[in-house]
Amino acid sequence: MWKQLTKHLQTFSSAVISAVDAQGFPFSARCVPRVDQPRRALWVDLPPGAPVKPGPAGLLCHSHDEKLWNLRSFLVQGRLERNEHGWLFFPLRFIPGEGLYGRLSLLVTLFHARRNTRRYLTVRGLPRPKIPWKDINRLRAEAYKISTGIQAVKTDKVNDYVERNEAAR
Amino acid sequence: MGIWALPSEVDAVLRQFRTCELTTLSKSGTPTTWPASARYLPEQGRFLLTTSIGFAQKAFNIRRNPKVSMLYSDPTGSGLHSPPAVLVQGEGVVSDQFVTAVEGLEDYWRETIFGRQPTTGFFSSNFISRWLMDWNFMRLIIQITPRSILWWPGGNFTQPAQQIQVSHVEAAY
Repeated sequence: MWKQLTKHLQTFSSAVISAVDAQGFPFSARCVPRVDQPRRALWVDLPPGAPVKPGPAGLLCHSHDEKLWNLRSFLVQGRLERNEHGWLFFPLRFIPGEGLYGRLSLLVTLFHARRNTRRYLTVRGLPRPKIPWKDINRLRAEAYKISTGIQAVKTDKVNDYVERNEAAR
Repeated sequence: MGIWALPSEVDAVLRQFRTCELTTLSKSGTPTTWPASARYLPEQGRFLLTTSIGFAQKAFNIRRNPKVSMLYSDPTGSGLHSPPAVLVQGEGVVSDQFVTAVEGLEDYWRETIFGRQPTTGFFSSNFISRWLMDWNFMRLIIQITPRSILWWPGGNFTQPAQQIQVSHVEAAY
């Protein structure tokens, strides 16, 4: 887990550290973690006056492009402790998010989502619902129209546009 | 500007950022943070998010403990130059049932999802992708009401946070 964390951490320029404040609300701040190899922990800086308590904490790294695509992320759960030198995050559990393992990530996401959905519906005795694709594609076409200024766009042209962009990546 | 008297640069962050880092608290009390797209509804004094039932853990967490936070700290795609980082702490409520219908969520789907993330249009574009991705359109609705809003000018976390003066929001510190 430590090896996996340090390997992926170096591919991100910063991270979000989250802990719990005195009133029980989550408190997050962006930081640049520093690896402490002997302790197998990360030094993190919190903003001055941050009302954070030592205890359970999480560290998220994520990135996306201008169009909110090419998503990459992972989350580490652990504990935040304080000593005379600052705050130390001790990782306990590494949870891969999206895009860490290339195309395999997409397959894993699909597998988990479909499995979780099936479980959700089964546990509640619900049939798989029909999705109003016509309404969804209408909104998709309207979004395209707004972003491009093109007045009349047919759904299939939107599809073509999206697929061409995908192919060009 | 709505019912919150937010500085314009903070208002711009809440409108323009593509993602926030949403933190919920797990059963053990461990903060669990993932990127999320939130729709800022200042006229209603709340934020709107949704999550697929395929990834419903954040909704389950909020039902158990409504205390959440949303950090806006990644300006990629926002078009804003050197914006502040904004932390919204609040309480969330999750719908009892998931929805597939778009009624009442038209702006959310049009602007917050398809407008910001056009590639997701592929999910509904043909028979195969619809079969593979139908779970993405079964959504639990999450509404978050802020209790405090903090911000760091220029996204500089080495200085103390400034607090947004919001009439119905209690200060965190």
